[in-house]
Amino acid sequence: MFFVTYLRRELRRRMRQAIFIALGLALGVGLVVTVAAASAGVKKAQSGVLSALYGVGTDVTVTGSAPGPPKPGSTSISDQSSQSYGLQQGQNGQPEICTSRGQGYPNKCVSAAGKTLDELTASLSGISEAKVAQTARLPGVEAAAGGISLTDNTTTFGQSSNSLPQASSFTLDGVDTGKSSLGPLSSALLISGHSFTAAESDSDSAVVDSGYATSKDLKVGSVLAIDGVKFTVIGIVSQAQATSPPDVYVPLAAAQAMSLYAGDLKGDVTTIYVSASSATQITAVGKEIARLLPGATVTTASSLASQVTGSVSSAARLANDLGRWLAVLVLLAAFAMACLLTMAAVTRRVAEFGTLKAIGWRTRRIVAQVLGESAAMGIAGAALGVGLGFAGAAIVTAVAPKLSAIVGGNTAPQASLPAGVHGAPIGSLGAVAPHTVPVPWHPSVTIGVIALAVVLAVAGGLLAGSLAAWRIARLRPADALSRVA
Amino acid sequence: MYELTGVTKLYRKGRRTVPAVKDLQLVIGDGEWLAVQGRTGHGKTTLLNLLGGLDRPTHGTVELAGTALGALGESQLTGLRAESIGFIFQTFNLVPTLSAAENVEAALIPLGIGRASRRSRVATALESVGLADRAGHLPTELSGGQQQRVAIARALVKEPKVVLADEPTGNLDEDTRDDIVGLLEQLWRERGLTLVLVTHDSGIARRAQRVGVMEGGRLIITQYGG
Repeated sequence: MFFVTYLRRELRRRMRQAIFIALGLALGVGLVVTVAAASAGVKKAQSGVLSALYGVGTDVTVTGSAPGPPKPGSTSISDQSSQSYGLQQGQNGQPEICTSRGQGYPNKCVSAAGKTLDELTASLSGISEAKVAQTARLPGVEAAAGGISLTDNTTTFGQSSNSLPQASSFTLDGVDTGKSSLGPLSSALLISGHSFTAAESDSDSAVVDSGYATSKDLKVGSVLAIDGVKFTVIGIVSQAQATSPPDVYVPLAAAQAMSLYAGDLKGDVTTIYVSASSATQITAVGKEIARLLPGATVTTASSLASQVTGSVSSAARLANDLGRWLAVLVLLAAFAMACLLTMAAVTRRVAEFGTLKAIGWRTRRIVAQVLGESAAMGIAGAALGVGLGFAGAAIVTAVAPKLSAIVGGNTAPQASLPAGVHGAPIGSLGAVAPHTVPVPWHPSVTIGVIALAVVLAVAGGLLAGSLAAWRIARLRPADALSRVA
Repeated sequence: MYELTGVTKLYRKGRRTVPAVKDLQLVIGDGEWLAVQGRTGHGKTTLLNLLGGLDRPTHGTVELAGTALGALGESQLTGLRAESIGFIFQTFNLVPTLSAAENVEAALIPLGIGRASRRSRVATALESVGLADRAGHLPTELSGGQQQRVAIARALVKEPKVVLADEPTGNLDEDTRDDIVGLLEQLWRERGLTLVLVTHDSGIARRAQRVGVMEGGRLIITQYGG
């Protein structure tokens, strides 16, 4: 192959220049790879936080509004018999548990000493389950699933009137067992047992978070009593630590059947998880849902992302802004250097190209030869650049500080946040206070990044070659040969 | 056969227009050797460029075998040069990174000849100029005379009808000059080439069939025979 022989010899003759150009491109490309890898790593960490908050595959979350405040001096509670109780202060100043017997009848009260109260609350008001089906039919919506988020607060009163009551609570999510790809369980990692199947929609089975299972010594097969119903633990799952996942998951129907203070949720959900048919549809879907459910809060992943702050957010900004521009600048400098050096080489080779034209080489053949040389330098630059990129990513991994995300606690809580949704405890209405979570991350050199590097380096080489080609195409052989003479 | 009718070539130098060749009438027969002499800047190289289709006349026509070169497109002219015209330059103009054989082979690339055939013709061409044993040498590893022999082999390997030589001995010492001119003369005779040779050397010019002198852009034929 004459083309290859000529190309190889020419590159060998200009080896120092070729290496210089390839190194320049490699430096630019390596920086792009490093920045892209760091950016991808941060984004991955961010999306890890978000998906944990939000659920894998969920594009839009719709939540009901907050219920009214509890009436002062009274709290509705549930015990194992699922009767409705009230907690009042007795005449002796000690708490008393009072049974409500209906309007017009006095409550029957007994001392709370030695008793345990089990209280279920929903921090969000209900949305009719029919709206879930309507949402699913909206244009751009791929699927919609309903869910209920509850908090079970337990208060144990001591025998002695001097002892303080012991309070504990756990969070509980009712999930649509037929749509496991949406909702809080979608991002969970199964540790043992199995997750819900569609057939278990009416069962008294529960899936428990591994942290809660450990603290309560629950295993697959254990029995968990909630609101007087005995649930059998069928699976233990783990969620990313970046959020506060619910402690217990039960089928939606079971959650709806539980008696609650602030009204029951029979036939209702507190959250609708929606996946859009494409990423470009998310905004439109959000608007459609807002039209369908004017009183509900509609949150998209991007609006949620804006509420995740902390060093992970700063790192993302650093990678996206400073890193990207730095990479662009270095890449531009590398391109400019490649162009200048290639043009200088063409100037030195004017007589050579003039001679080739004189002996019958067509311009396109000469141009192809020069582009081949430039592409070869570009490919070498790409290979070196990818190597440098990996090295850069390794350095970033070694020296990068630990990242964290502040989830919730936005300084200006907005109604647009899915407050109170377990796993998305953002906003002032959430049961979980703003908290900082560590975000494990490392630069991620993906195939896409490598492909980008190769394309950029070869494009840089070809850009330089194209300028040279333009010059060669305009070269008149008589003029070129006169330079020698 | 070349036929030049009223050929004028003008160049612009700043605001001035400088005539390099003026109203040239010339016929060069097939197989003829024309030597062109003249002082520097009087249009010798311009004439050679016009004959080789490297440049176009401002006025008039240059015909080769009945084809007006000025009427051809750039691509057709390139094709014509690839097939029918061999160039020999004063400074040899070899590609420095290619070996002697590869430099000769470069002339066959535009013709689309297969590799094996190219190699065979290159070997024959190098042998005809006495450089069969230098095929793998780079130009820098060859003497000036050897480099010009490679350039001659490159011009002849495609078996052209015409060879245009622009001071082919200008960069060579006396002994080498005689060798090269002897070689050119031999090849001209053997192959029936049309040879147009630009030279300052009257001794060489006298060996041509016709000698013309370029003066102020005009060609004056001073010698016939040879």
